[in-house]
Amino acid sequence: MSETAVVRPAATERVGQAAPNWVIMGVLFGLLGAAAIALFGPIGVSTTYPRFIGGLMKLLAPGAAATNPYLAKVGGLLKPETMLVIGLFVGGYLARRLSGQRKAPAIEHVHAEETSVGRRYLNAFLGGVFILFGARLAGGCTSGHIISGITQLALSGMLFAVGVFGMGIVTARLMKGGH
Amino acid sequence: MTLLYGLLVGVIMGVLLQRVRASSPLMIVRNLRFENLSIIKFMALTIAVGAVVAYAISFVVPMHFDVKPVYVLGVLGGGLIFGLGFGLGGYCPGTCVVGAGEGRKDAFFTILGGIVGALVFTLVYGWLEPILIAPMNYGKLTLAGVLHLSALVAAVVLAVVFIGVIAVLPRREAEGE
Repeated sequence: MSETAVVRPAATERVGQAAPNWVIMGVLFGLLGAAAIALFGPIGVSTTYPRFIGGLMKLLAPGAAATNPYLAKVGGLLKPETMLVIGLFVGGYLARRLSGQRKAPAIEHVHAEETSVGRRYLNAFLGGVFILFGARLAGGCTSGHIISGITQLALSGMLFAVGVFGMGIVTARLMKGGH
Repeated sequence: MTLLYGLLVGVIMGVLLQRVRASSPLMIVRNLRFENLSIIKFMALTIAVGAVVAYAISFVVPMHFDVKPVYVLGVLGGGLIFGLGFGLGGYCPGTCVVGAGEGRKDAFFTILGGIVGALVFTLVYGWLEPILIAPMNYGKLTLAGVLHLSALVAAVVLAVVFIGVIAVLPRREAEGE
């Protein structure tokens, strides 16, 4: 896990004569999203974060938890979405193990200024703060607003996507490439 | 039973996101820099397939559709703030959990940051709500409603447009990246 860890593209990423990987994955994910709507509801991830905070506050500060209007709005943790987030962790683990990768992936330095592991962790942390604050303000994230939202033809999902990609592209371009 | 479905959908989604490399922050940032377009194409195709299939099967299967309202200031403002974090860290609220499952150490920092961001929002919701969420709320608008089309027809139109865009995008991901 050196600071200069160079991440080589995986062999599976190379496009062969068959359909590119993203085509297969896109078709499967589209079918999965439709199945989720049939089974319990559209896929969504970011509401689980405030529900988790609500669960913690109930234990640590029950008074504050009971009077917070936002925690009342998002409700408790006993929801399919909570299980979905747990599933994402398990799925990430399984996918790595099933592909024969035994070691954890190296830390990827994505911007030139990420000259140390600490700087990478700082950007990852700040990125987390912004994506969750933004997602909660908008009422959904990449899953709930963009994938599930636009799948359901929602204008809110399209507007959110404009903001995300507009600012995401500007931010990624202003911060020069690392790696 | 729905809890079990949620877990199952999550596991499959986690595997798919890892396999398409959406849980790699470098892959995300390269897509935002247009050095590789595979994740953008993956998302567009997912939506195209999902929309047509969901509205097609809605004629025979009861569906739990749940459209989110368009409150312009909060949805666009939240998108811009999200985009800043997306470009900075290269993770989404879901892909950081997949990345953590894979063993990516920086993904744990994004989850931690996400808990902090959600906590801050939880605490300021009371005074942000009347400024950014309540005003300019046009409700649960959809493309089908605005264009006065049936949902399945609108889904097909959307799918054709998205697949058309994918087809004209350059094949950056074929460059061995």
